[in-house]
Amino acid sequence: MNGSNRLAGLTARPKETSAEEVRRVDDVGEARGFLDRTPRKKPGRKPSPRTHQLHPKVFPKVGEAIAAEAEKLGITQGQLIEQMWELYSS
Amino acid sequence: MPVIVMASPKGGVGKSTCAVLLASEFARMGADVTVLDCDPNKSLSRWASHGMPKGVSLLSDIGRSEIVPSIRAADGDGKIVIVDLEGIASQLVSRAISQADLVIVPMQATALDAEIGSEALALVREEEDALGRDIRHAVVLTKTSAAVKSRVQKELEEQLSGAGIDVIEPSLVARAAFSEIFAYGGDLTAMMNDTELRTGGKVDKALANAQSFAEAVYERLK
Repeated sequence: MNGSNRLAGLTARPKETSAEEVRRVDDVGEARGFLDRTPRKKPGRKPSPRTHQLHPKVFPKVGEAIAAEAEKLGITQGQLIEQMWELYSS
Repeated sequence: MPVIVMASPKGGVGKSTCAVLLASEFARMGADVTVLDCDPNKSLSRWASHGMPKGVSLLSDIGRSEIVPSIRAADGDGKIVIVDLEGIASQLVSRAISQADLVIVPMQATALDAEIGSEALALVREEEDALGRDIRHAVVLTKTSAAVKSRVQKELEEQLSGAGIDVIEPSLVARAAFSEIFAYGGDLTAMMNDTELRTGGKVDKALANAQSFAEAVYERLK
């Protein structure tokens, strides 16, 4: 077998690639057990990397203020404490 | 240019080997070959990581959603698309078959391979009915004996021919070079010309077998 001229004569037949045709092909495949086997993502939320716990006792007013500020910023109290620590240590 | 799909819901029958041999041989003939690796085992990507023959490009990680647009994008003037599928019964397989100009179903000469491989043949025929067009398909027997044709192989060939199924001649013989090429990369010609290569088999015989196989496939694409 040699020479590219032989291959140049090869042609592909036109094929439909419409969504309707793909659906028809899926139906035919499914009837014969050729199913969608795309791996599914693991359900549920990913575990947080924040694994250390603090249990500080503070005055109720301070605790309420921290909770309100975290809620206002749309972050957790832990993230707020992290931000506070960053400012304190910089 | 044609789209050739390697399909069988059974693993280990030689789909990736057929894909590598055809890609190498058609590239050697001067075609621009795109190989789509749709197998989660990534056999073709592993082969390509050791080096690919000139004229062959690889697209990997092709899933169910990407298969039809990927084949369409890879197809074009002077290009041959070869799709290596996963060894399971999936929608990815049925979608790839719908885009094929030739479906090759490799199977070893065993009752189990024939039974599972026949599922792919039946699917092709059902897709032909559903789509209202012919999808050319053929079986190639793989890992056959170089010395003798076994009784089981003879019987299987007779059964397939009797059922009107096209059987590609020659079969692909069990050759060490066909396995070793995945660790070596490139093509059989490069393996044969490598004087430092230590192989457990006869590369020249493997190359002759691969060339005859590619010629038989070419005849079916005309």
